This record gives sequence, C-alpha cells and structure tokens, in this order.
Amino acid sequence: MSPSVNNIGSSLDFFVIVAIALFVIGSYGVLTRKNMIVLLMCIELMLNSVNLLLVTFSKYYGTSDAQIFVFFIIVVAAAEATVGLSILIMAYRSNKSIDIELFNKLKD
Amino acid sequence: MDALIVIFITGLIGLFVGMMKKPVLSLSISVLGLISAFILMLYYKSYESPFGNYNGLNFTPSGNIFALLVIGLTLLIVLSGFNYFKKDIEHTADYYGLILFSLCGALILIGFTNFFMFFLGLEIMSIPVYVLVGIRKQNTLSSEASIKYFFTGSFATGILLFGIALVYGASGTFDLNEISNSVSIWKEAPAMFHVGVLFILAAFLFKVGAVPFHFWSPDVYQGSTDAVMSYMATVVKIAALYSFVTLFGSVLGASGNIYTGILEIVIIASFFLGYVSALKQSNFKRLLAYSGISNTGFALLSVFTGDFGSLWIFLLGYTASTIALMTVSQAIEKIDSEDIKNWKGIGYKNPFIGVVVLISFLSLAGIPPLTGFFGKFLLLSGNYQNHLTLVILALISSVIGAFLYLRFVINVFAKESHAEKICIGPLHITVLIISTFVSIFGWTIILF
Repeated sequence: MSPSVNNIGSSLDFFVIVAIALFVIGSYGVLTRKNMIVLLMCIELMLNSVNLLLVTFSKYYGTSDAQIFVFFIIVVAAAEATVGLSILIMAYRSNKSIDIELFNKLKD
Repeated sequence: MDALIVIFITGLIGLFVGMMKKPVLSLSISVLGLISAFILMLYYKSYESPFGNYNGLNFTPSGNIFALLVIGLTLLIVLSGFNYFKKDIEHTADYYGLILFSLCGALILIGFTNFFMFFLGLEIMSIPVYVLVGIRKQNTLSSEASIKYFFTGSFATGILLFGIALVYGASGTFDLNEISNSVSIWKEAPAMFHVGVLFILAAFLFKVGAVPFHFWSPDVYQGSTDAVMSYMATVVKIAALYSFVTLFGSVLGASGNIYTGILEIVIIASFFLGYVSALKQSNFKRLLAYSGISNTGFALLSVFTGDFGSLWIFLLGYTASTIALMTVSQAIEKIDSEDIKNWKGIGYKNPFIGVVVLISFLSLAGIPPLTGFFGKFLLLSGNYQNHLTLVILALISSVIGAFLYLRFVINVFAKESHAEKICIGPLHITVLIISTFVSIFGWTIILF
C-alpha cells in the first residue's frame, strides 16, 4: 500500500509550502499584471513551482518518474515561451504596446 | 499508434514541400497522409510497445472510434480550408503542418494511459493552435485572439500541472490504473488528492470552454480564420472532452462525489448562458461559439455515466453541423459571412446552401430523424435516473436553442430580392455533401 500524505515528515513540509507559495505568487501575477512579459514570467513561475513540488514528492516516494516528468515540463515550458514571445512580438507590431489592457477589441 | 506516426511524418514532409510554394501539392500530401492514417487506425487497432510493459499509449475500442472521428474531421477541415489557405501562398504549408502536428496531440490525448502522455498530448495539441489562431499577422483581431488564447491556455496548463503534482503527491504514481487502484484502497481519499482533482477539473473546464471559464472562446473564435475556428470547435473540443470523460468518468470519479455537485452547476450554467448569450449575437462565429458552449454542457453529461457511445453520437452530430456551417461561411465569404445580416436570403437564392444550413441547424437543435437528436436522446436517457433535474433543465435550454437556430434558418430563407447567387467550389461541395450526409444518416451507426 502506498504511503499517504499524512505521513509526510516535517522536512518535506517546507518544500511543499514553498512550492505552493510560488504557485500562488505566479497565479496572482497572471491575474493582476498588465505587462505581457511579466505575465509570461509569472506563468513560468507557476510551472517552476510545479517542478519543485514534483521533485519533492519524487524524493519522498523514492521513485524517479516525477523527476523525468520535470524534464518534460521544462521542455514544454521552453516551447511555450518561444511561441508566446513570438506572438507577443506580432502583437507589438500591430498595437505598438505590450499592455494587455489595450487588447480589448474583441468583445460582445 | 501507426496512424500517429504517419500523421507526424506527413506534417514534417509537408513543411519541407512547402518550400516549393505549391498549395495543391501541400494539400494532396496532407490528404494522402490523413487518409492513410484513417485506414491504419481502422485496421491496426492494437499496438505492442517496444519498451516492455510500459504502455503510455493504448487505444481502447472507444478511443479508436474517437480517433477515427478526429482524423475524419481534420480531413474535412483541411479540404474546406484550402480556398482560403491557397491565397496565403507563403504560409499554406504552415497551415497544414501545424494542423497535422496538433492532430498528433489530439490522438495522444485520446489514447493516453498516464499523466505523462496526457500532459504531453494536451500541450502538443494546444501549442500549434496558439500559432494557428494568430497566423494572419497583419490582422489586429487575429493577434489579439492569439494573445488571449495563449495566456488563458498556458495559465490553464499551469493549473493542470499543479493538480497533477498534487494527485501524484497523494497517490505516488502517474499511471491511471494504479491511481484508481489506490483510490479504491483508501477508506477516505486525502485532502491533497481532492484539491488536485479540483485543480485538474478547473483546467479542463478551461480547455473545453465550459462556463465559468468560457470567456475566451467567443473572442478567440472571432479572431481566427474559419478553418482554424472549425478545427478548434471540433477536434480540440472532442479530444479534450474524451480525456475529460476518461479521467473523471472512471479514474478520478471513483474518489467520491465531491466534484459531482460542481460539475452539475457548471453544466446547468453552460446550458443557459451559452444559448441566452447566443441570442443577442450579430457575429456568426460568436453565435456558433456560444452555441458550442451549450453543446459542451450537453457533452459533459456523459461524465456522470462514463458512456463513450452516446458521447460519440452526440459529438458526431455536433461536429458535422459545425463543419457544414463553417464551410458554408467560407463558401459565401465574399459577401462577408461574419455578419449575420448578410446571410439574409442566401437560402432563397441558393437552394443547395439553404438546405445544408437547414439540416445542420435542425440537427444542432435536436429535431428527431437527424443525428443531433439521437446524440441528445442517448445522453439524456442515460442520465434521467440519477440526474432528473439536469435532464429537465437540458430540455428547457434545448427549447431556447431551437428558437435560436430556427430564427436563423428563417432569416436564411427570407425572400430577399438583392441576395446574390453564389457559385461554390468543388471542394466545398464535397465537404458539404459529406457532412450533411452524416447529419442525416450518421445515427444509423447505432444499429451496427
């Protein structure tokens, strides 16, 4: 039977709390910031908090599959950042600004 | 699996062939690849992994028919979008390449057995679509839609990953079978597991575009081209819904009914918000987007039963209608089909278009002998014992939907003397005939 979360020792608590804090900071940034580059950074922060969480659990369970998952996440985050930055440049050319509030032409 | 490889290689070849700037060649290569993938999917069902007993991908019989549906729909979309793509001669191959790569992701999302493959499939499916939405680089609306889709999509990815990490923390594995095993062993699932499941649920509602997280879909649909919009409204939605039902219908659903109440509220809100908002739209794509939100609500009913058969029939009817309508919209592009006012009298002057629009909308509304009716009927009859309120509300919202669709059809058949006679290209006629045929006779597949 797999160990349940209640058994996680106090040493792991620290990492879990840090990861959750990073995630909350990242998602708060996505919801409130206006500058699109900062938005990209916040999304990256969310993904990295997930990486930290996965590595923590992987260490706890003594399995390596979560650590491999982390590499996948890093690769996908890189791909996403590439696409996101190029979309951002395209948007900048058409709007001469990277303020997300200015992109409000599509609405009911 | 062979189908997946064939589609991927076709996409790669298509990108290189694209350097020759021959749109017809790109089209024929993609069509050839898709047809051979369809045939492979039909005949080589099982797949032996070369990596021992690691099976990240496994197409179950129900996954197989969904994969066939997705490949067939992409074929229709590729055909119907050609008239638009060939104008943009620099980027014709990019369209085909990106659609095929995205289709790879959709297939992975249909065959996944663990969270590795699930996450990869979701991203492989989404990232090309971010690009496809913004492919009209000079168009302000297109880049705005792309920005919106990208940020909401990657935010949803972050939430999804956090949910997966929490589920992993609670169960110690990414494999769906092992997770459902440990769920059945627990007397009471740990709080971390429930929080993880709720995070995954939220991310999914983002991806399928159900109410609280639907706000992006009308904007994004409006900003993208017709072919890309029909791709998002059909293939992306099918793959996301299938994986939704796989995850929540069996694996995560076994953990208890904490999420059932949330899903019920989501479904009811989707029914009404979608149709009621659609009533006041003047843009054709926004209308279809809002009616798509309601149809997503219907499709989510299958989560409670975990029944893929009824979901398949329903999605068959919905997608056939959507493809037919978007193809009509592309065929009458020169009179600015985005504005609903311009559709007035089209069916009166062009009986063929009129009949296609009529049948598609009747099928969407769920009028008896058409495929859309059988889909809704099967979904509702599966649910009426346990969720009677949901079924009644679904029927009430269907009446609003029928009003919306019939109002549009009456508008299309209005006697308008200065409506134009429009000649349709052979590719569009093929797609229209196939999708109308599916709308009328698609339900006969139940008999087999």
